[in-house]
Amino acid sequence: MKGIYGWKPLHIMRISRILFILIFIFSRIPRFATLLMYVLRPLYVPTTENLLNRKFRYGLLTMGAGLLTPDTFRAYGDGALAFVENFTDVLRAEKSGKPLVWVEWILNAEILAAFDVTPFCNAALNIFANVESMAAPSQIIEVAENQGTPVEYCSAMKLNVGAYLIKQIPAPDLIVAGSHPCDTNVSVAQTMEYLTGAPSFIFDVPYWKDDESFRYIERQIWDQIAFLEKHLGKKIDWDRLRKMLERVNEFNFYLGEICEMHKAIPCPGTMINLGYAWVVREINLKSPHALKMAKGLYQAVRKNYLAGRGIVKREKVRVLLWFPPIAFFTYIFKWMEDEFGAVIVADFIGQVSTVPIDTSTNETMIRDLARTQMHLAMGRQCHGPVEFITDEMERFFVDYNIDCMIFTGHQGCKHGWAAAKIIRDICGKRKMPALYLNLDIMDQRCLDEQGVKNEITKFFREQGWG
Amino acid sequence: MTDIFDSVKKMASVDRNPYLDAAIADGSKVIGYFCSYVPEEIIHAAGMIPYRMRAVDNRGTDRGSVYYSAINCSFVRSCFGKALEGDFSFLDGIVFSNGCDHLRRMYDNWRYAGTGPRFRHMFVAPHITGDTALVRFTDELRGFAGSIENHYGVKISVDALKDSVRLYNEKRRLLAQLYEYRKSGEVPVRGSELLSLMLAVTMMPAVDAINLIRDVLAAVPGRAVSGKDDIRVYISSGCMEETAHLELIESCGAAIVADNLCLGSRHFDTIADEEGDPYESLARRYLRHLSCPRMMNSFKQRLDFLENAFSEYAVDAVIAEKLKFCDLWGGDMYLMKQESRKKRFPILLLERELYGGGDGQIRTRVQAFVEQVRNKIYSETGMVRAAGAGYRTSGK
Repeated sequence: MKGIYGWKPLHIMRISRILFILIFIFSRIPRFATLLMYVLRPLYVPTTENLLNRKFRYGLLTMGAGLLTPDTFRAYGDGALAFVENFTDVLRAEKSGKPLVWVEWILNAEILAAFDVTPFCNAALNIFANVESMAAPSQIIEVAENQGTPVEYCSAMKLNVGAYLIKQIPAPDLIVAGSHPCDTNVSVAQTMEYLTGAPSFIFDVPYWKDDESFRYIERQIWDQIAFLEKHLGKKIDWDRLRKMLERVNEFNFYLGEICEMHKAIPCPGTMINLGYAWVVREINLKSPHALKMAKGLYQAVRKNYLAGRGIVKREKVRVLLWFPPIAFFTYIFKWMEDEFGAVIVADFIGQVSTVPIDTSTNETMIRDLARTQMHLAMGRQCHGPVEFITDEMERFFVDYNIDCMIFTGHQGCKHGWAAAKIIRDICGKRKMPALYLNLDIMDQRCLDEQGVKNEITKFFREQGWG
Repeated sequence: MTDIFDSVKKMASVDRNPYLDAAIADGSKVIGYFCSYVPEEIIHAAGMIPYRMRAVDNRGTDRGSVYYSAINCSFVRSCFGKALEGDFSFLDGIVFSNGCDHLRRMYDNWRYAGTGPRFRHMFVAPHITGDTALVRFTDELRGFAGSIENHYGVKISVDALKDSVRLYNEKRRLLAQLYEYRKSGEVPVRGSELLSLMLAVTMMPAVDAINLIRDVLAAVPGRAVSGKDDIRVYISSGCMEETAHLELIESCGAAIVADNLCLGSRHFDTIADEEGDPYESLARRYLRHLSCPRMMNSFKQRLDFLENAFSEYAVDAVIAEKLKFCDLWGGDMYLMKQESRKKRFPILLLERELYGGGDGQIRTRVQAFVEQVRNKIYSETGMVRAAGAGYRTSGK
């Protein structure tokens, strides 16, 4: 624990930035880079962290450990550049004088692009803390726990609080937060407002997903604009917003198409693509490089799709990964493909099902932005009745020809566990083989990477797939 | 000899009482509801009896845990267990709420289990209190009324609703009057007794509830239940219905004089406007009354309420509690703790399971806390506690 308090402010963001600069550079020579990553696999794939591989193991595993195609890796490089842009802006925010605005991870950051501010996803370290070391997320979570935040909080939120307390995320000038997907979010938004003293705009996310609910969010976006105009002392730039939303439409189109192509047998893409794209979306959707990445990923998957080629040579099992993905084990996708020929074809987070935004008038932009916000991953499933979770799950069973489901039962997710019987019974009635993991998606103290591998291996063997 | 407080306590210890039974026998319908944000007036205006859901007299969490999990709060598991046992078979309808994650899944599990009654309504309250939320909440109230009207074939007229608003305001005024008595030096009503009263009056016809509160009020003058050395405590928590738990705290030398509880101040805080549109009036009252931490922009309101209690009720210390796995109250306790450091008021944070035992542990903690607070009071007032035997006035 001594090390963690010795970190310089924003230490993790700085090393993550360096990592992504390197990824971008290597992604310009994608054949060589993927070959190199493949050759070096013995140094970081089968082993856990050690002194030699600590600072790059997570990054290399997330980048597919040499198992991504060169064109896919090149697209990842564009995503990396989008990260670099945002992190650079954040690290220089104080000097540049641009206000820094926190935006929660399942809210639209798009509106901020129309205000020329530095947006920052305050959940960024949910992923990037792993870049520092395997132990870092747990250590940061412990900081929050030691300060008195409830231990039973969702660890993603504890990680945010801990990161702020040890200055690993920047202090905000303003905060945009919301009431979904869970009580921890509701509670931590208040904690963050209290700790930072920054004025907050809170979205009250409706329970239902009907026209009235969409209109309610729409009215709140207008309130949000008024809030931003008041606190930033400037008017919204509608042209900037329009350009931004046009890019968003294109971005969502590419990812939506990838999701559609994943329905093909064999599956032409790997789900980590969509997971990675989701993180890029969270961090810096306004970057042109984000769009470039989406297009690159789309083209890579489409090439396979048109050729009738699967992401693995012999697809044995089609898996639905349900509930939030395991942040510390992003390699799960490529590991399952490589080890078992098991392809995760759909998941809770990567699925893009937003609506196109009509950019013809200011009013239509806000109307459709509201609908988009209600369709963002995790948000769209977690804010209402259990059917928002189970209907999508059952639809995926059919649409994606799922052979089995892996349920990532996250420790802090009270509403998720409260629906566990319903989910189990649905799988039982459909005779859908299912593995119910009991883990913490952020904190390896509960079940670590090797533990997850063991559980999945055992499950596949029981099913005769291992 | 039993007095009114004993009768109330007896009523609170079971999930039905003679008033409710008599009303049911007369043909009244009973609608269960879960949260302080559900307006009882609308149920009443439909000619029905609002019944606050509870887990008293439950048989444990076993049956509820089949649907829920070990990380869900013991209130929902116990209460749902009661539902599965058929304890709520007298209900004609039930109103769920998005009060918290555990509770909103009650709506799902209840439907999934196919447990009666047939009328099951999900009532949605915003998490913020601004004007946009107020408009939305007013619509929610109208929708709720419409839902009752459609299901039961009744009409909720504006006049009937206004009458209900007046009636429930009367109940609130009487409860506020009862709380006023707690401001005096000698506390005339225990916190546990008030909790019993709240439990009782939230499961009977409003007119009977008002009469019962009047009876209690009549018994209060001249009564004193606090000890000379008792510290004056403010208690805050969400779901709390265990009167024995408050009795335990009080037996340690703490007189509970003020609170922010669902079945406490939150039940009667803020009178609804009796003029104008009753839906708008109720929306304002229920959205902006003393909040619980599910409301995301209201911590300052809760803090102001606490500070006011310090001066008006001469509060010495705060006990903040939560049920295990309650994120909302857990977060609020964290913020309260920060405030206690800033403003230097004593605070004890307790965590418990509903009817979960652990009395010895809680007693030890409360006793130690009371001792600390007493010492603080004596030190600040020039009194010094002598080890083990009374106290003396320092320097005199």
